[in-house]
Amino acid sequence: MTALAMRLLNLRWTVLPPAAGIAMMAMIVGALVAAPREIIEGEVQRLMYIHVPAAIATYGAFFVTFVASVMVLWKRDMRWDAIARGSAQVGVLFTALVLLSGAIWGRPIWGVYWTWDARLTTTLILFLIYSAYLLARAISDSTDEQAARYAAVIGIVGFLDVPLIQMSVRWWRTLHPQPIIFTTKPALPGEMLIVLLIGFVAVFLLAAWLISLSTETERLHQRLAGVRAGVDRHEGA
Amino acid sequence: MDNIEYLFAGFAVVWACIFIYLLLLQGRLRALQHEIERLEERLEEAERTSAGTPPGGNRQGQPRGE
Repeated sequence: MTALAMRLLNLRWTVLPPAAGIAMMAMIVGALVAAPREIIEGEVQRLMYIHVPAAIATYGAFFVTFVASVMVLWKRDMRWDAIARGSAQVGVLFTALVLLSGAIWGRPIWGVYWTWDARLTTTLILFLIYSAYLLARAISDSTDEQAARYAAVIGIVGFLDVPLIQMSVRWWRTLHPQPIIFTTKPALPGEMLIVLLIGFVAVFLLAAWLISLSTETERLHQRLAGVRAGVDRHEGA
Repeated sequence: MDNIEYLFAGFAVVWACIFIYLLLLQGRLRALQHEIERLEERLEEAERTSAGTPPGGNRQGQPRGE
């Protein structure tokens, strides 16, 4: 890696935390104060400004896991395994946030916290797949290359659920609303779109910071295993 | 329709989960860094002992002692 790339990569520790913090604050203020009140759903509709960006961040985090898992199988390099594990953790966290915020939003609007709707069920399946991925890696050694390759297969196959989630509202009759933002003509007023855009930036920065932190943790786990093996060799000799 | 309590519950749950995860990550990072430093010191000590060099001695050019 070039010196410039390394310097840019190191900026994640100094730039991402304050940028994510400021953007999250801006999103909160925008969602609670600046955005107009939705007439039919009322105040609870403001959960959209965290729910929708968190859903997109979930896809992003699992896409990183998918790419890193492909690289684990292709390059057989454990650095990619650390990235895959780190982003899978953040993906699972954001999936949980999407499910929880969706349940709280759904209670006053649908009358229930949970229903076996296609969008909700496929999202829960995504959560379970990547929880299984993390569990599979957690019960094996962080430097176990075979376990990393098995987990990488789960990381790749699991991502197939993401397009299924996205298309579920089109393919099946669901309670969940159809897409209103990622269409040729967004069905939202300008003020709401701006706050939502701030929400996307905030959650993207937060996810990038969390992925950096969790990847660093996994990298340190691998380094610890290496140092421990060195100590065992010396002390056993 | 108001439902303001659901709005605050939603935001509170999201923020609480993010903060808890951040705290856990910071704690794990610190513990791992501490453990690595401790083991590296132990490894250095073990290398010195197996190479027969007194602590603080010059190890340059000496075998790794495996």
